[in-house]
Amino acid sequence: MTAEAWQIVLFTIDVSALSTLLILPFGIAIAWLIARRDWPGKTAVETLVMLPLFVPPVATGLVLLMLFSRHGPFGSLLRQGLGIEVVFTWRAVVLACAVMSFPLLVRSAQTAFQEVNVRLEDIARTLGASEWRIFRTVSLPLALPGISAGAVLAFARALGEFGATAVVAGMIPRQTMTISLSIYQNVELGHDSAAWPLLFVSIGIVFVTVLCGQMISKGQRAR
Amino acid sequence: MSLRLHGVRLPQTGFTLEIEARIDQPVAGIFGPSGAGKTSLLELIAGLRRPIAGAARLDDTALFDAGASLHVPPRLRRIGYVPQDLALFPHLTVRGNLVYGYRPPTSDGERFTLDHVAAVMEIAHLLERKVTTLSGGEQQRTAFARAILSMPRLLLLDEPMSSLDSRLKQRLIPFLLRIRDEFHIPLIYVTHDAHELAALCDEVLVLENGRLTQRGPPNEVLRDYS
Amino acid sequence: MRIRTYVSLFCLFLASRLFAAELTVHAAASLTDAMKEIQAAYEKGNDTKLRFNFGASSLLERQIEEGAPADLFLSADEAKMDALEKKGLLLPGTRRSLLSNLLVIIVATDASAAPKSAADLTKAEFKKIALAEPQTVPAGIYAREYLGKLGLWDAVKEKAVPTENVRAALAAVESGNVDAGIVYKTDALISKKVKIAVEIPAAEGPKISYPLAVIKSSKQPERAKKFADYLASPAAQAVFEKFGFTLAK
Repeated sequence: MTAEAWQIVLFTIDVSALSTLLILPFGIAIAWLIARRDWPGKTAVETLVMLPLFVPPVATGLVLLMLFSRHGPFGSLLRQGLGIEVVFTWRAVVLACAVMSFPLLVRSAQTAFQEVNVRLEDIARTLGASEWRIFRTVSLPLALPGISAGAVLAFARALGEFGATAVVAGMIPRQTMTISLSIYQNVELGHDSAAWPLLFVSIGIVFVTVLCGQMISKGQRAR
Repeated sequence: MSLRLHGVRLPQTGFTLEIEARIDQPVAGIFGPSGAGKTSLLELIAGLRRPIAGAARLDDTALFDAGASLHVPPRLRRIGYVPQDLALFPHLTVRGNLVYGYRPPTSDGERFTLDHVAAVMEIAHLLERKVTTLSGGEQQRTAFARAILSMPRLLLLDEPMSSLDSRLKQRLIPFLLRIRDEFHIPLIYVTHDAHELAALCDEVLVLENGRLTQRGPPNEVLRDYS
Repeated sequence: MRIRTYVSLFCLFLASRLFAAELTVHAAASLTDAMKEIQAAYEKGNDTKLRFNFGASSLLERQIEEGAPADLFLSADEAKMDALEKKGLLLPGTRRSLLSNLLVIIVATDASAAPKSAADLTKAEFKKIALAEPQTVPAGIYAREYLGKLGLWDAVKEKAVPTENVRAALAAVESGNVDAGIVYKTDALISKKVKIAVEIPAAEGPKISYPLAVIKSSKQPERAKKFADYLASPAAQAVFEKFGFTLAK
């Protein structure tokens, strides 16, 4: 493994972790709203959230490209307002990973909230707790194993993200090159053997991630 | 304590709960077979369900008034509720459950301390235990204690002893009497077991197919059912 | 009776569709527009259908090596053709240099800044520069060699947005997501959304050469040779020149 390969591995882990952290608050909030409340437009939002799971990843990448390019609605706002560029930078990698792994987090968290006994939340109401307090002290702690599992899934998905990233971030060495993109490029160049170390490392990382996830879930359920 | 229910209607499967009643006694029992609507009635009073019509008042405050679209949320009603399945928080210890609803003292003056209530319910030695490790009777008493510590104006008990054997039931009745005598909290006690009502209640109301068909002292009302 | 006639005619028609001679031509991405025009003319006068596979010459070379069926290969640099020749995949005697091209630096037509020379690319206002993948794709290799010769490659490398082929680099400049790009002159000429900021003269720039050859495994070598000859004919050369290519010496 060359120094360049290690940089790619660390970069991939960094952006995956960052994207997972970013989607956690939104994912948990949306999951709770879907699990516990009815509101106008709920079905539409549910469908929208799940779309990246079923739409071809490159298609999702294209949508992101259109929205965040320099001339796109969000891209131009960020550029003019905050001087931030998204497309072809590491931010686009985080964006692609976040969007693609979001539905996995929401699905797990939603199930976790639905499995919390509503009676417990009702009792908490009779004991004088506000809705926010009930969320913090009853719903969230009891849903935590499922939410953690969802976060691990999201992280693993981000590690392996390829299609959307390739479209919206490109394959720029040291700036947007992830493990998946690098393996693809090496294969394209005919340097298969250069791809193998990355391949084994990525399998290793995902293995460890899923293992940790299992342990966290078991540990929490035991409590 | 005075609980008044006026013109209250709540559709159930197969019938409609229709209640017109006034309950003043310190310990009132509601007797009826399963499916008569007893749990729904308690949930209405607690605020966990909304009626389609009718109004209710507890002492001088309104609980709900369907006509005026008034529905005081459960957390503001100060009505304690111990459901049939107890609904103890499994992720908290006994202490964690007990303090969950603990309120600062009101102008009424009376304030129970955690230690006092735990001692009365004889669970003081269990405070640091996870509720999932307690026996049936211990969980029951913890549920009582939790409700008491929330300083309710009224305590609703839904078949609190249905899952216990008769020996345990006998052991629990004194605790319920203590709630009445030591903490002076009015109780509404719902069950299909006539013996429990006879031991505890000042007055029994019979709920059949959604309506209150009789009321009176236990020995009179329950004569036909024992 | 009539039905049988129609059915047999239909079968003959199908057969003719299936067995119509078809040539598969792998051609560098920069040749896309010129070849499409040549295709229209050639198919009219010959009973041969042309099927094109346009892409980065590096990718096409790889595909041919892996056995993708191809009759002709038109590469954007000699190195890819050399690789195939060394592996014995070319039909001997059919390789020839066909065209040449020029490198240009382009910006979007509505760009606020444009470089006046290659050295300007190192300035801060050009944050992202699109070019074809510089290690493998001919257009990228040419750009890297040229900038390297001027001692500018290390600086520009940091800003490079490598793309899969030269047309993708063109598209990146058109979209406005990069500040400048390095493509062939012929690419810049077909797009209305970019303008040429700097043209690298043939004398200073890298020696760009587009070789052509028939693939040894071709099932129709005679037809392939015929098309190859057509590409070198004045008719085709006129089309190439129209699009901005220069002829190989």
